[in-house]
Order: sequence, then structure tokens, then C-alpha cells
Amino acid sequence: MISVNPHFAEKLKKFGAKTSYDCFGCGTCTAVCPLTSDENQFPRRFIRYIQLGMEDKIKHSLEPWLCYYCGDCQKNCPRQANPGELMMALRRYLTSVYDWTGLSRRLYTSMAWKIVSVALLFFGTLAVVYGFSGEMVTDRVELETFAPAHIVHPVGYVFGAVLAFLLLSNVYRMYRFVLGPYAGAIPLPVYLQELGTLIVHFATQARMRLCTDKSRWLKHFLLMSGYFVAFMLVNIDIVTRWSLTNEPPMWWHPGKLLWSYASIAMLYATTDAIIGRLRKKDPIHQYSHSTDWMFLILLWCTVFTGLLMRIFMELGLPLPTYHTFALHLAFTVPLLGLEVPFTKWSHLAYRPFALYFLRLKERALELQRPEGTAVGVQGAQG
Amino acid sequence: MDKKLAVYICTGCGIGEALDVEALAKVATGEYKVPVCRTHPFLCGAEGVAMIKQDMEAEGVNALVIAACSMRVNYDVFNFEGAVVERVNLREQGIWSHPANDEDTQMLAEDSLRMGIVKARHMALPEPFQVEDLSRTVLVVGGGLAGLTAALDAARAGYKTVLVEKSEVLGGWVSRLYRQVGVNPPYSELEETDIARRVKEVEENPLITVYKGAQIEKISGAPGMFEATINHGGTQVTERVGAIVLATGAVAYDATKLAHLGFGQYANVITGEMLEEMAAKGSITRPSDGGPVNSVAFILCAGSRDKEHLPYCSTICCTESLKQALYIKEKNPEAKVYIFYKDMRAAGNYEFLYQRVQKEGVLFFRGEVVSIEEDEGKNLFVEFDDVLVGEKIRTEAVDLVVLATGMVPTTAIGERMTIKAETDEKGAQAEAPAEEIIRSNILNLEYRQGPEVPTLKYGFADSHFICFPYETRRTGIYAAGSVRAPMDIPTTIVDATGAALKAIQCIELTAKGSAVHPRVWDLSYPEFFMQRCTQCKRCTVECPFGAINEDEKANPLPNPTRCRRCGTCMGACPERIISFKNYSVPMIGDMVKAIEVPEEEEEKPRIVVFACENDAYPALDMAGLNRLTLSPWIRVIPVRCLGSLNLIWIADALSKGIDGILLLGCKHGEDYQCHFIKGSELASYRLSKISETLNRLALESDRVRMEQVSIMDYDRIPKIIEDFASRLEEIGPNPYKGF
Ligand code: HEM
Ligand code: SF4
Ligand code: SF4
Ligand code: SF4
Repeated sequence: MISVNPHFAEKLKKFGAKTSYDCFGCGTCTAVCPLTSDENQFPRRFIRYIQLGMEDKIKHSLEPWLCYYCGDCQKNCPRQANPGELMMALRRYLTSVYDWTGLSRRLYTSMAWKIVSVALLFFGTLAVVYGFSGEMVTDRVELETFAPAHIVHPVGYVFGAVLAFLLLSNVYRMYRFVLGPYAGAIPLPVYLQELGTLIVHFATQARMRLCTDKSRWLKHFLLMSGYFVAFMLVNIDIVTRWSLTNEPPMWWHPGKLLWSYASIAMLYATTDAIIGRLRKKDPIHQYSHSTDWMFLILLWCTVFTGLLMRIFMELGLPLPTYHTFALHLAFTVPLLGLEVPFTKWSHLAYRPFALYFLRLKERALELQRPEGTAVGVQGAQG
Repeated sequence: MDKKLAVYICTGCGIGEALDVEALAKVATGEYKVPVCRTHPFLCGAEGVAMIKQDMEAEGVNALVIAACSMRVNYDVFNFEGAVVERVNLREQGIWSHPANDEDTQMLAEDSLRMGIVKARHMALPEPFQVEDLSRTVLVVGGGLAGLTAALDAARAGYKTVLVEKSEVLGGWVSRLYRQVGVNPPYSELEETDIARRVKEVEENPLITVYKGAQIEKISGAPGMFEATINHGGTQVTERVGAIVLATGAVAYDATKLAHLGFGQYANVITGEMLEEMAAKGSITRPSDGGPVNSVAFILCAGSRDKEHLPYCSTICCTESLKQALYIKEKNPEAKVYIFYKDMRAAGNYEFLYQRVQKEGVLFFRGEVVSIEEDEGKNLFVEFDDVLVGEKIRTEAVDLVVLATGMVPTTAIGERMTIKAETDEKGAQAEAPAEEIIRSNILNLEYRQGPEVPTLKYGFADSHFICFPYETRRTGIYAAGSVRAPMDIPTTIVDATGAALKAIQCIELTAKGSAVHPRVWDLSYPEFFMQRCTQCKRCTVECPFGAINEDEKANPLPNPTRCRRCGTCMGACPERIISFKNYSVPMIGDMVKAIEVPEEEEEKPRIVVFACENDAYPALDMAGLNRLTLSPWIRVIPVRCLGSLNLIWIADALSKGIDGILLLGCKHGEDYQCHFIKGSELASYRLSKISETLNRLALESDRVRMEQVSIMDYDRIPKIIEDFASRLEEIGPNPYKGF
């Protein structure tokens, strides 16, 4: 027997679910949602879960991740209950539930924690950079002298490994929550067969194309591909040595061209998102949680300082190059450190994994059914 | 009255082009020797009307047959003081629904004229019934919101009013409310009721006499001359009144019948009424221990919309519970309030209240309550099947469960009785289905058909919620407020005004000798040729309005001011002794006989259509207006109500060689639309017994068909007639043709 828990809705307010009690259950949202399906019904059902305080149900559900915040529901709700934003709040809440360190919950629910964490990482990074940096050559730009690659790269890899560990351990918790009862029933080959789903959705965010507004996907893809390119470039720099070097290659160097694409794509998409959030016109940008701002601002500053540093470098301005580089790192560290495992950016893992887990669950159900009729989810097969 | 007939044929509106008007005029002048027969290109114009007036003055004509448009239009134009007027419908049901310059259309027009002429020959000018010593006082029964408002409105219109209230104080249900749902913007605030102001105004109004702690012992008489005997603290007073407003309201459903919801079993399960009382006293506490209330569960539709209890919705329980949720939340914003509902019915401005209550953090549940349990501490737990989640859910412990019980109209409470006609020896006509009356001890009418007004559904005092609100089935008695239908405060106020105006209208029409709704222009009334009465009681039982009482010898005692002029008694009387000055059994019988029935070889069947004037006849007109083509074989005879149908007409028609008879009347049975409530039902009942007659004549019972139509069905009419015609074709021509 489930008990009503009226305190849950109160708790969820901090995650941005301020309107759950405005919903009177008409179901318009579910009717107009382009992504809901018979097997995975949302958002009304989930709003009801919020109202009744059915924490357990929510914790074991994938649906919040199946919502891509198209916002059709929000435009049509007769009660202005903002169903899309309530689904968004559930994702924030779930992110905090998956995270075992407890830091995620603090970042989502406390302003002080946000500011202190960002400041700590920001100034900490600056301190480290200036503390360990080499000489600042002023007659020409010698970035590697200022930031020795043999220090920056290992530190970077260690940092990345820690983040990957944190994020993946949280994904594992998510897996236990949503597939708990099925996990044992799925044979290993199925895990491998369905890996395609994970990869496709990670690389393409194809499901977002099912939203009514198609431009959303393109903008997001600019962001995602830009990030992905930049991430790869930074990681292979140790081999290609195009970036952190005292001898920058010519402008046509593929690394540099790709980097330019990445910076501009990300800058455009992030700026667009910031403007959107200031204008509050589209449902997805109508309501901004403080962590939404935190993500966008850190991302924008990171991309912007990265680009600026490149420009100073090209112009042959040594000091501005070194200082913007320091700033660039000082933004990158809190961005990656706080966003990837603990807050909004974790969706880069949770979203594709959710679709992967959904396929696994469907396969498990098929296996349980003797005359298995195929069940499918829109977009989940890639 | 010496009658001189005149026939006027209008050739306007295309009639002149589509018909051979000369031949038509010959029917009047040749066949019927009508002394005056004229045609006019624009009869309803000033010139046409002047021509008729001129004839009335110069020629002394006083029975006018106007062969032009439908009687449903231009009735104000063709209205001549001191003359009998019969309308022949050449336009809507003539040239608009039949092809022009066609032999059959011409025959139809000629038959229509024949029927009009024979009817006009028989008709006499009605002499309005005059009440001696007519009373213009309005009696209001019930001193709650509806009664107070009706009394004030009647008094404001200048009518003396007598208000009778059972309890010692005025104000009724509303005066016991702590607050009312906001009726002013923003519609989401609790408001104080204005009932005290209404009570004061009533008590101070010099035109209103108030009897408190009073009871009506009996009411005799009829509109314009009711005699009400009021027992007022042991003494009897008699008031002569013209019309009555019934405003005795409703009571809450008996919660002791709701044991499945824990009432009577658990101390902390109470009703909305009890919560209201606590709130009015200033503190809402747990009945079990007087402790504070920090959590409440409201259960809506407690016993309502439930076949086992009240099958209907009482309209106000949702909003009243929303309001009461605010009583709790306004005192203690932290209190947990749960509302369990089937459907949230908060229409119109109540939406604002609903939204506010949601914003206050009240939690709503839709679905079925499974059970209510109590722990040792007398805390309650509600278990619930939540529709949206599809699972059973249980609340935390709550201090109070409030049942929103529905309304039971005061007219529904009392012993049920049926009044029947004694079994009749003649067996000539059907006995009316028995009627049920609930002895609610409110009006105690001295009526042959029982002491209270017949109720509609579920014991509510009404006769049709949509088409004729306020009208009970007792003329001159108008119901207002929740005795009529479940309603909220604003609706009750409007309702009371409506009923008060109805009562005034009834008094004024009665003073003129006119019928009330739905025949407000009608000055005729039924007259009984008593010498031939066999005391069969048919009329006294079948009159849908209880207009006819009877004396000790079982002779009918008509009360013309109670009568609605439907003619049901006329249709019922096996001796055919009931007639109106302008509507009678022989009149219609002669119309049937005036129809020319062609020889069998001509293959021109004839169908008589008896069409109810209220819906079927207008539907036929509308078919014409929409230029739908109707079968050329029909001959339409309008009747006041199918209830006035006398079986002799059918016998007349069939023995004359008419091939079929179609009765078009209103829907009957549950959700009837019959304007005289029982008329079409009685017609169908009588019809069910007709096969015997037909067999005697060696005729197929399929030759008579009854169809239910509403005014909206005009587009179905051609098909209804066509289907009947083709069935008649299958049966073959009436063997009586040419006899
Ligand atoms: C890997 C698969 C990814 C998927 C399926 C995905 C999907 C989504 C979706 C549906 C949203 C909109 C609503 C929400 O926040 O929940 C969103 C927002 C966003 N995503 Fe992704 N994302 C992915 C990866 C990434 C990556 C790698 C980036 C890195 C740049 C990224 C950056 C963003 C940003 C910045 C927003 C917020 C836009 C705003 O606040 O207006 N996403 N993503
Ligand atoms: S969120 Fe809005 S649209 Fe969806 S069920 Fe609730 S009220 Fe209806
Ligand atoms: S935001 Fe879009 S995907 Fe999410 S529930 Fe609303 S309509 Fe569906
Ligand atoms: S049956 Fe009709 S016409 Fe006859 S008395 Fe009753 S109301 Fe009047």
C-alpha cells in the first residue's frame, strides 16, 4: 500500500517544481506530448506522482529522461501547471538521487553551496595555474613555457578519470534503480546487442527530432558536436601538439580548423540559450533554475575565454594569452567538475543511458513473455 | 352566434403562381356555398387586412377562413376582434413542400381549404372564463433563500404576498452557513451571506405577511381563487391567494445510510452540514476528543451519483467542500487537506475558487474511496483507488473525514401513493397508467389527483427542467430553488425571481380568462355536457394537471383556471361530451370527413397526419421553409396535443377509405418533451388498444402509426412520411374506399 506523502511536493519545490498542485489531472499534456507512449506515459502521471509524493515510483522510473522538454504540454496546459518544467524538475531531482556523494543535492538545493563550490574551484585553479606556471615570455607567445604540457596533460587526465568515475558510478546507480528487478533476467549478449542504442543517442540526440520544433535539435547538435570535437582535440593534443605548444602550426592545420568550428558552434548555441532564457518565450526557457544559469554561464565563459585565448595567440599578444588561458582553465574546472557528474551536464550520460536501459527493459519483458510481441518506444531503436 | 363565413385566399408568396386559385375559390363558393370569397395578392399587408375588416363591417362576416401562410406566422395580423379565424396553410405545408402547378398539389390545397371551411363552420368564439372575486395575492411556501427572494420580488412588483415558514425563524439553509462561496470578483474569497438582509427586508415589507412556525393544512380551489388554510401556532387562518410559489428547499441526505464511509461508526466522520455548524460556532475540532484539527479528508459525492443512494448530482457539494477546505486552510495554512472526488464540478466562476484551493496546497484525488479505517487514537485513514495512478493509496492519519452529502428535495420525503381510476365496465378506452404522488405534507392540496404536486425525477418538483422551468404539474403552483432542482445560491436567487414572475403572470392571465403556458393566448376552456356523463372518471384521472375534481357522486368538477387547454380530457372521454368552443371531437371528425378520397383506380392514397401543434406542426412548417418535398398524399390536421386524440377520428378516417393515419407528437416516457406532460404518452397508450377496433373493421393495425418528433427533426419528416407511405403501399389500398 502506497501512502500519501504531502511533504514530497514541498521538497521538490527546491528543484524547480513549483506548480505541481496547479495540475488538476486533465491529461491534456499527455495527449499532446509527441514523445509519450502507451508504455511510458508522461507527464500527467508523473505530476500525479509528485502530488502524492510517490518518491519510490519516481526513483525507479525512466520517463523523466524520455521527456525532451519539447514544451507542447506547457503550451497547452489549461491550468498553467507547467508540466514540462515539472518533468525538468524531476530530472534535477533524479540527478541528485543517482549521485551517491550527496553533492548534487546540495548544488541543486542550496545557493551557498553553488557559489562556494564554483568559487573554490575557480580560485583554486587560478592559484594552481599561477603557482605552478613557468616563465611568462613576453617577446613572443610561448604558451607551453607558461603552462608546461607535461604538467597540464597528466593533471587533466587524472581530473577526467575522476569525473568519469563519478559519473559512471552514478550511471550504475541509475541502472540499479531503474532495472533492478530485471537486471538478473537479461543475458549478457543482450547488453551488447543494444549498445547501438546508447551510441546512436549519445552521438545524435535523435529523439529530440521528434519534438514539434525541429530547430531545437539543430542548435543542440551544434552544441553537442562542438563540445565533442573540442573534447577530442584536447585529448589528442598530447600527440598532435597543435594547442599547448610554443610552435603553433599554420591556420589550415585541421586541429585549428576543427577547434574554430567547435568554439563558434558552442558559442552560438550557448548565447542563443542565454538569450532564450532571458526572453522566456519558449517553454524550455520560460523557467530557469539557478543551476540552469550556472551551467550556461560556466559553459559560455569557458568557450569564450578559450576562443579569446586563441585570438590573442594568433595576434601574438603574449600576456593576454597567458592570462586568458588561466581564466579559461579556471572556468573549465568548475564547469566539468560540477556539471558533469553532479548537475545538468550529467544528462549527456543519463539521457542516452536511459534509452539504452529502456531497450534492455523491453528485451527483458519480451524474454519473460513466451510469445513475445515486440514492444517498442519511439526513437529508442535509433 | 349567427355565423357568416368568408374565405380569403392569398396569392402572394408564390401561392398564386403555383396553384389554380380560381379552382380553389370554386371549392369555397361552389361546394360549400361560402357567401364571401376573395383573393388578394398580399393579404397580410394593410390593404388585405383592411379588405377583411371592410367585409366584417359591410357584409357582417364573422367566421374567417384565411388560406395563406401557416398559423404559426402572422397570427397577430390575422386577429380580428369578434371573429372566428381559421387558418389554412397553403404556403409552408402547401406550395413550399409540394411541386408547383401539379395536380396533386392542387388536390392537397383544395382538401386543406375544405377542412378549414368545415372547421370554421363549427367553431364558436370562446368566452373567457371569469373568476369571481379573483385574488392577486401570491402565497410563498418556505422562508429560505428562495422563498424570501420570491416574496420580496412579488412584493416589489406590487403584489400582496403571504409567506409561510415551518420553523420559528426565517433564513433556511443559507442562514446556517458560516460563509458562502464568493459570488463577487475575484470569486475565490469566502463571503458572508446576505440572508440576514433579506430576512429583515421581508419582515419590514408592508405587502408581505409572514407566518412563522406555520404549516399549510389544506389548499383548495384553483388559480385566482386558492383558499389556503394555514395552521399558525395552533390557530387556523385562511388566506385567499391567486398563485403559489413552492420554495421548501432540500435537506441533506441521511448520512446514517452511509455506514460504508464510516458515518455513525467513527466519531470523527462527520457531514458537511456538521462542519458548517462547527465553523459557524467558531471552532473546528475533533468530535472524539475536542482536539485540534490538522488534517481533513473531504469525501465528495458521499452517497451521490450512486444508484444505491442518490443517483443524481447535487451540484453544490463540490464547491461547498472547496469552500470548507478554505475554512481549514485559512485558520491553519499548514493543515493537510485532502479532497476525494468523482468529478470536480466547479463550473463558471467556481473555477477561480477551485484554482485557489489548489494553490493553497489542498490535495485532490479522483476515483473511488475503498475504505475508511480508524486507529486506537481515533485517527482516520482513507484508502483510495486513484484513477490517475491506477493504484490503491492511503492517506496519512487524518483528524476529520467530512462527507459531502447531497440534497434531497423536501417534496421527495413522504409516503408514496398512487391514484387510479376505478376499473371501468365499458372497456371502450384505455385506463391511464397510474401516477405516483409523494405525501410530503407541504401543500395538502384538495385535488382529486392527490395532495401534492407530482414530481419529475427523484422527487424534485418540476415538470421539465429545460423547456418549462418553474412549471409544476399543478397550474398556478411554481417551484423555485432546490425543491425544483439542486442548485447553488446565485441560481436559487434567479430561480426565485423566475417563479415569482410566473406566479404573477398566472394571476394576470387568469384574470383575463386566458390559459397559462404553453397556450397563453387561449381563451377557450373545456365544457362538459354533463347529462351524458357516465362517471367513468377517465377525465379526472387523465388530466395531466389535475384540473378536474369530482363530487360525491363521481361527477367531474372542472376547474377552468387550473386547465391548460390541452384537450387530453376530450381525447379521454368515451362519451365525447367534452369540447372547446373552437376545438371539439365533431369539429376534427368533420375535417377528416371533408377530405376527398379518390377511387382506388386513381392510385392516389390518402394519409391523415394528426400533428401536435407544439413541435410536429412547426417541424412540418420548417420542412417547407427548407423546401423539402413531402408526400402528396398527406392531409395534415393540427391538434392541440396528441393527448386530445379521440379514437373515433381514426375510425372515421378508416371507414371513409383513408389509407393510413400518422400521428406526429412529442417524445414521451422518461425525458418526455410533451408540452402537456402526459399527452403523447396517453395517445400511444390509447393507440396500443386500437388494434381491436381495427380488427373489427377487418383492417391492418399497421394503418395507424405514431412517431415521436421534435422541432429539430424537420429534416427527418419527409422520410418518416415516405416510410409510412411505402408500408401502406405494401398493405394495399383501404378496402373501405368508395363505401
Ligand atoms: C549525449 C546526448 C545528449 C542528449 C540526448 C541531450 C539532450 C538534451 C535535452 C533534451 C536538453 C533539453 C532539456 C534538458 O535540459 O533536459 C538538453 C539541454 C542542453 N544540453 Fe544536451 N544532450 C546531450 C548531450 C549534451 C552535450 C554533450 C552537451 C554539451 C555541450 C549538451 C548541452 C546541453 C545544454 C547546454 C542544454 C541546455 C540548453 C538550455 O539551457 O537552454 N548536451 N540536452
Ligand atoms: S499538467 Fe496541465 S495539462 Fe497536464 S494534466 Fe495537469 S492540468 Fe492537465
Ligand atoms: S516537455 Fe515535451 S516531451 Fe516533455 S512531457 Fe512535455 S511535451 Fe512531452
Ligand atoms: S385534460 Fe387538459 S384540457 Fe382537459 S381539463 Fe385537463 S388540462 Fe384542461
